[in-house]
Amino acid sequence: LQVFDDEGKDVTPHPLFHSDPKAVVPRQGKLLASSAHFGGTGSGTYGSSSTSISNTSTTESILDETVEPGSRRDTTVSLSDVQGRQEEIEELLTKDDLDRSVDIYLTETETIWILDMPSVAVSVESEDAGRIQERNRIYADICKNRPGNDRFVEKMMQTINGAAKNKEVQCDQIIMEDKGTTVTSWDLYNSFNVLKIKPTSKAEGSGATAGRSSKPHTTKEHDQTMSVSSDRGSTSSSTMISGSSVLARNHEEEEYHSEVILTSEKFQQDLFFMERILMENIFQPKLAAYRQFPVLIDPDVTSDTSRTVAAVKEAKEKEHGKEKKDKEEQKEAFIDPSILSDVNKILEEIVPPSLERLWSYACDLTNGHSVSSMAWSKVNPDLLAVGYGAFDFKEQKKGLACCWSLKNPMWPERIFQCEHGVTALDFSMASPSLLAVGMYNGSVAIYNVRSCNDAALLDSSESSNKHTGPVWQLRWVEQDRSATGDSKTERLICISADGRITEWLVHKRLDCTDLMKIKRTESKKKKLPDEKERKSEALISQQAAGMCFDFHPKDTNFYLAGTEEGHIHKCSCSSREQFLKTYRGHKGPVYKVAWNPFSTDMFLSCSADWSIILWHQDSQTPLLTFSSTTAVVHDIMWSPKSAFVFAAAKESRVEIWDLSVSILDPVISYFASPREKFTSVLFATNTDCLLVGDSNGEVGVFELQNLAALNSNKVQLTR
Amino acid sequence: AEVEETLKRIQAHKGVIATMVINAEGIPVRTTLDNSTTVQYAGLLHQLTVKARSTVRDIDPQNDLTFLRIRSKKHEIMIAPDKEYLLIVIQNPCE
Repeated sequence: LQVFDDEGKDVTPHPLFHSDPKAVVPRQGKLLASSAHFGGTGSGTYGSSSTSISNTSTTESILDETVEPGSRRDTTVSLSDVQGRQEEIEELLTKDDLDRSVDIYLTETETIWILDMPSVAVSVESEDAGRIQERNRIYADICKNRPGNDRFVEKMMQTINGAAKNKEVQCDQIIMEDKGTTVTSWDLYNSFNVLKIKPTSKAEGSGATAGRSSKPHTTKEHDQTMSVSSDRGSTSSSTMISGSSVLARNHEEEEYHSEVILTSEKFQQDLFFMERILMENIFQPKLAAYRQFPVLIDPDVTSDTSRTVAAVKEAKEKEHGKEKKDKEEQKEAFIDPSILSDVNKILEEIVPPSLERLWSYACDLTNGHSVSSMAWSKVNPDLLAVGYGAFDFKEQKKGLACCWSLKNPMWPERIFQCEHGVTALDFSMASPSLLAVGMYNGSVAIYNVRSCNDAALLDSSESSNKHTGPVWQLRWVEQDRSATGDSKTERLICISADGRITEWLVHKRLDCTDLMKIKRTESKKKKLPDEKERKSEALISQQAAGMCFDFHPKDTNFYLAGTEEGHIHKCSCSSREQFLKTYRGHKGPVYKVAWNPFSTDMFLSCSADWSIILWHQDSQTPLLTFSSTTAVVHDIMWSPKSAFVFAAAKESRVEIWDLSVSILDPVISYFASPREKFTSVLFATNTDCLLVGDSNGEVGVFELQNLAALNSNKVQLTR
Repeated sequence: AEVEETLKRIQAHKGVIATMVINAEGIPVRTTLDNSTTVQYAGLLHQLTVKARSTVRDIDPQNDLTFLRIRSKKHEIMIAPDKEYLLIVIQNPCE
């Protein structure tokens, strides 16, 4: 069916339901099921006479309606079929059909109910009016009869409660634990840092557990420890992952083995410090005296110690008083009324100068060895190197070189065992950790003091040029190389009994070059031309054994060499064979020569002929001779503080000479105990102390007390 | 080894009353006193060390306690603390 209006437009009402022409026509049953859908699309009248319509009624009404749509559906379907067919047919229309007259039927479609709201009011004149009126009346009557009527009863109902049943359930007690922690600032710091430390400790822990079989440690042990648990607690609170804490605990468990504790490096270090602190406690008054501090008196100390301590203190004060006075005056200040009055304030009488023994560097290791030489470190004035070795040929045994520190007077810091007796040693200036040691067999070794290793850094045993006699003295000398500018280089110079003064080059191997060969010089006695000449030819060696040397403090080109014959030669580095001057005076081997550090024209020499001689470098005859006892003078040294004072080690005593006071007698004479013999002296540079080495292996530290003129350094000795 | 030597030297010093090495659990590793006294010392000194260390680190967390010395009328107690052990030496400093 197609409807065209006036203009010829196709206004055929489209069917509301377009069914697929190929689709199967839905059966009536299906229609019912999908009635709601169809009701929506198609026409649906939801008939309802009253609001309370149950679903069934709607379906009923829809059922009613569905019949219609169903029929209509059929028609539409048929319409569509027709349309389809019509479409099919249209294709076959030809021009002829246009001419045919077509009958058009205009019909009215069924009424499409869109909305139907039935009214509540009914007209009086309708058929149902009477019935409805009747019903209304009955209802009104019922409402009237309702109150008081038996047929209407108000009844209250009670809902039936179901029978209650108690059911009990039992569960484990939930254990509550209160946990509190006090956080300290270091705890926070630890937690912050543990994230960095954790990976490394984890690695360590895993390594340790893998390596060893971990012993089972019960947690009881952990709880028993007093505050360790709190420590652990703090560490475990800071570790995030429990895994790492377990690993760390295992790691700690390994460490509980006592051997591990004892061998750990930290333990060693702690022991080291502990020893030093112990020493400090024991030696505190002595060390304070060494440093010239006022000594503190412990209030609980027993009476006699307090007395000595007080005496030391008083002595200190006196000395301080004296020193102040000395600074004003140049020369002798010993018998000065002002000082006397000062002294009298404290004590009634003048206390003579004396050596007070503070302590001695000695230990079991050094017992029995004789001290042969001592040297201060150039850098650290509290570090002392002591060489142990005998002077005599008969007493030779293995030698020792030890480094002692002020902080521990009972055990040396470094011990170097040497094959032969040590006869000389010296610290280097340029490289302060090098210690050169000369030995009785003529070899020279260089040790590095920094390492604890016993082996020498360099040894001269392979050198072809080495000495054949004991090295009696060696020294590192700074020399100006005039050729290459004024840079100071340091050389190691030794003198030995084979008559050579050598300079050693410190390179990969120790090698030396000769500086000087000491020739024997004939004495200046008148001799008969024939006899003595022959005698002089029959000498065993052309060379005289050198015993000691000393470089001039100002001009390092010159040096003095003392020989076994008793001659002292002044030599120069530039000439190899010739001496500049020879000083004759001693009748025995010259054990030591020393330039006066202040008055550099003078020098002192000591020898086995019981005498000490003071020379002036221009005169070939002695200036002064000091001989007080019939004992060999082993060692002398000028005081670094005063031009007049020097110390001498004679076998049975130590003497301090003060030339400003007396040239005949020593100012201080300290006697040794019968068994020991003093063999070497050394002044301390930073304090008024003297170190004396003896044949027992002890280095005694003595404090110089009441020594006047200790600070004067200008001298004009005129004769 | 050297550790043994040093330990022996410390023990042999004049004035040293006792030397103790105690591990982190409070068990003495080396001691020259009887066990009960050692344990007593260990417990008390450990607590003190922890407190001292806590004090030092509270003031500056980067700092740490290295040595502790307690001077009393009769003795001086010196403690070298560490994470794993305590080294305690009791000395009578008067001669």
